[in-house]
Amino acid sequence: MGRIFMFILGAAVLTTPALAQNSPLPLPAPVEKELAARASNVTEVTLGKNMLGFAAKFMNGDNKNDVATRRLIEGLDGIYVREYEFEKPGEYSMVDINKLRQYFETPEWTPIVHERDLKSGESTDVMMKMINGESRGMFVLSAEPKELSIVMILGPIRMDELGQLKGLGGLGGLGQVGNSSSGNEKSKDRTREKLSLKPGGAK
Amino acid sequence: MRWLWIPLCGAALVIPVLVLAGQGRGFDGVVGSIQSQYHTRATCIPLMGIVSLIARGATQGGVGDLHVAEFEHFSGPVDGDAMNRIVEKKLGRGWEQMVRESSRNGKQLTLIFSRPDGRRMGLFIVDFDGHGLDVVQVSVDPDHLNDTIWRYKHHRRESD
Repeated sequence: MGRIFMFILGAAVLTTPALAQNSPLPLPAPVEKELAARASNVTEVTLGKNMLGFAAKFMNGDNKNDVATRRLIEGLDGIYVREYEFEKPGEYSMVDINKLRQYFETPEWTPIVHERDLKSGESTDVMMKMINGESRGMFVLSAEPKELSIVMILGPIRMDELGQLKGLGGLGGLGQVGNSSSGNEKSKDRTREKLSLKPGGAK
Repeated sequence: MRWLWIPLCGAALVIPVLVLAGQGRGFDGVVGSIQSQYHTRATCIPLMGIVSLIARGATQGGVGDLHVAEFEHFSGPVDGDAMNRIVEKKLGRGWEQMVRESSRNGKQLTLIFSRPDGRRMGLFIVDFDGHGLDVVQVSVDPDHLNDTIWRYKHHRRESD
């Protein structure tokens, strides 16, 4: 009986990571599903390490930009973009936003931009994943009354290199984030206008 | 002599089973599942094998292994989750979802899956626009495609 129990336990331990891979975006899956169920249009772009390696092959030029972009892309573990469009305002709540934010309230993640415009109902969060003083990921959450955009980049990132990603999947706004976050606090209020993250461009 | 019949009979039984099992996966598997799920038939595109060969030759190996299935007058609605499950199940391991765009009213759906295949990359696309549904599988060689893109860019710069 004990052996059977140990076998079942072992099987459960082994299958758990496989089941966890159902949601490629390292976000809490229920939140993702809830948002997707309420949105009128959902766009998900998932570029895993394999796909990024493939994309890097396209940058085989010898010029500085191509070399820098290839190096940046090859080092990344994944780029995830989620865009939820809603028919009318109020179809997602601040509770949903807070759930997403709470997921990143760990010592590894450092908020670098947190902006909220009560008048327009727009908010922007930019967080960096720091491990041993090195940036290992980035999370951007841009919320508008009828639109919610999430961008997550995992892997070693240098803010000054983010602009190199502008040609990938409508991530043009990231170059602006890189420029903004290297500045001082005054740059935060400009970041909102610059975050034009439109994953639809990847299609 | 009697012992020879046993493996022969075994092979005769196993080979058709394997062939039938193979038909239920990949591109044919997805198309077959869509046909049975939505009670529709894909429009037959004649000489698709030759078209694929010509595409491979014309692009110097850049694009190959082309499969296309077109479902005309396919009004839907299409359940994005259900379609995603069909594609994931029938494509099997190795394929990763790259893009998924869906509308809640089931009138629009785009799924793009990719699979690295040595130096090449397999792409599997399902696109539904509210009137018709297209299923495309293609294998691309990034190096060849990059050369072609570079040539076009170079030509454009020269003409500018």
